[in-house]
Amino acid sequence: MRVKRLQPMAARARRRYVEAMFQVLGRALQAVSEVDANVQGEARVLPAGFMFEMKVMPRGSALVVEHTGEGRFRYHGSSAPKPVNLSIQFKHLAHAFLVLSFQEKTSVAFAHDRMLVDGDISHAVRMTRILNRLEAFILPRVIASRAVKQYPANLHLPEKLLSGAKIYLNVANQFVHAVRA
Amino acid sequence: MPSYYEFFCPVKVIAGKAALEHIPYELSGLGASRPLLITDQGVRAAGLLDPVMAACDEGGLRIVTIYDKVPPDSSTTVVRDIAAIYRAEHCDSIIAVGGGSSIDTAKAVNILVSEGGEDIAAYSGAGILKRALKPFFAVPTTAGTGSEVTSIAVITDTEKSVKLPFTSPFLLPNAAIIDPRMTLTLPPQITAATAMDAMTHAIEAFTGMAKNPLSDAYATAAIQKISGALLTVMAEPKNATARLELAQASTMAGIAFSNSMVGLVHALGHATGALCHLPHGLCMSLYLPYALEYNLESIREPLGELLLYLEGADTYAATPPIRRAEAAISAIRRLRDELYQRCRLPRTLEETGKVTRSQLNTIARRALDDGAIIFNPKEVTYEDAIAVLERAWHQPHPVA
Repeated sequence: MRVKRLQPMAARARRRYVEAMFQVLGRALQAVSEVDANVQGEARVLPAGFMFEMKVMPRGSALVVEHTGEGRFRYHGSSAPKPVNLSIQFKHLAHAFLVLSFQEKTSVAFAHDRMLVDGDISHAVRMTRILNRLEAFILPRVIASRAVKQYPANLHLPEKLLSGAKIYLNVANQFVHAVRA
Repeated sequence: MPSYYEFFCPVKVIAGKAALEHIPYELSGLGASRPLLITDQGVRAAGLLDPVMAACDEGGLRIVTIYDKVPPDSSTTVVRDIAAIYRAEHCDSIIAVGGGSSIDTAKAVNILVSEGGEDIAAYSGAGILKRALKPFFAVPTTAGTGSEVTSIAVITDTEKSVKLPFTSPFLLPNAAIIDPRMTLTLPPQITAATAMDAMTHAIEAFTGMAKNPLSDAYATAAIQKISGALLTVMAEPKNATARLELAQASTMAGIAFSNSMVGLVHALGHATGALCHLPHGLCMSLYLPYALEYNLESIREPLGELLLYLEGADTYAATPPIRRAEAAISAIRRLRDELYQRCRLPRTLEETGKVTRSQLNTIARRALDDGAIIFNPKEVTYEDAIAVLERAWHQPHPVA
């Protein structure tokens, strides 16, 4: 009986965790595009107005960011104001949880067919690189190494700490503005 | 072992002597009797349609019409035109006879004639198709692409100058007919390049991130067959037994890589093929050893295992485990050297005479945006890609 009661609680906790991580990741994508030249260089290739969505199938949590031009992203929350150009969709909440709790690398999740790509595959590859770069900044190295295929060799501690702090500050600001609004 | 994997291949493989003669029976079993045959001028000129037509005639199956103008790089316009012919002639099934382009074109035509409409671009992407398409058979005439067992088709949108990918399990043919007569007249250099394409499919499948026990079984069997039969075919092009071995290996490698994906060799090869207009199989042969060297420390164990299938039990047993991965790469290099001797299949970018050094930057950048790069076992940066390309540029051994 106790197990039966705990199962829905665990599922609810997992759903809330994924929702929260999407909110953090979405804001962090906006932040890293304002902080890191490498990310800006990657994003600059995307067309201005390009809408990127990451979501859980069939109607689960989502994050939407828009490339506003010059390599900058704007976080739109969980729904897109216009048609999405690229959507990366987790087939199940459990798959999203594995990736967002850093138990499974994004590349491994692709290899395990946990996610579908709807849109230009070259843009999906680029967005994956941007997400990897972001994770390398905001996660402790030991956790980031579990999240990305290879921790960037040229990312040294001072740059990581400085950029990581800027990203977290930016994300915190966005949360404050969201609450005030 | 992977913590999770998927494996799917519902294609009926009809392989061996007089395989073509099974087409009428197999097609009637699907309730079809009015097939449209899709092929290209090269296949027709080589007389490869003759045994197909004879097999169908004798079996009481009339090919309603033949479209034989599929270009090497098929387009949305070609797909639309063939679909119009299919409808006008009231066909009820498709038989593709040819290489990757004819088979991919047939897959795309099958979408239009099954789902309706004239704009194939509307069906581009993954998972768009939700139901089975018309009966479709593939008869490969090269032993390399594995298109007859893959659920992917790539068609060029000529108006927008982009390549449209189509991915769905419903694109898979109902049957792949592997008959040694279809590859007997394949010229030596194409035989070598397409066999190296199949070899690359198998090796990347076995060393890639999505490898799994089932794809491993197909990959190792394919490598063993290619290693055993390729040089025999180069020496005796009319050896039907060895030709069949290569053709089966190509299909097995296709099943392997469509279930475990490919990596850096394909990413570089796609970029080079598109930019420099080199055949896909040649690109695979060009990059295979250099990409394996780049990935070496990430794939040492599986690559070492492949020595058994590349060189046989004696060499495998005589090689210390710690040296087997390097020995496997050396075996591939020796095979490429042998192919160079026999049919001048280029081993380096320089030897192709069609790639300039100034194009390496563009190739590297395009390779980083290729979908295959996600599944490469080691992360690849721009600098890494350039380093691999530089190694692939130089002449590795003295020209004999």
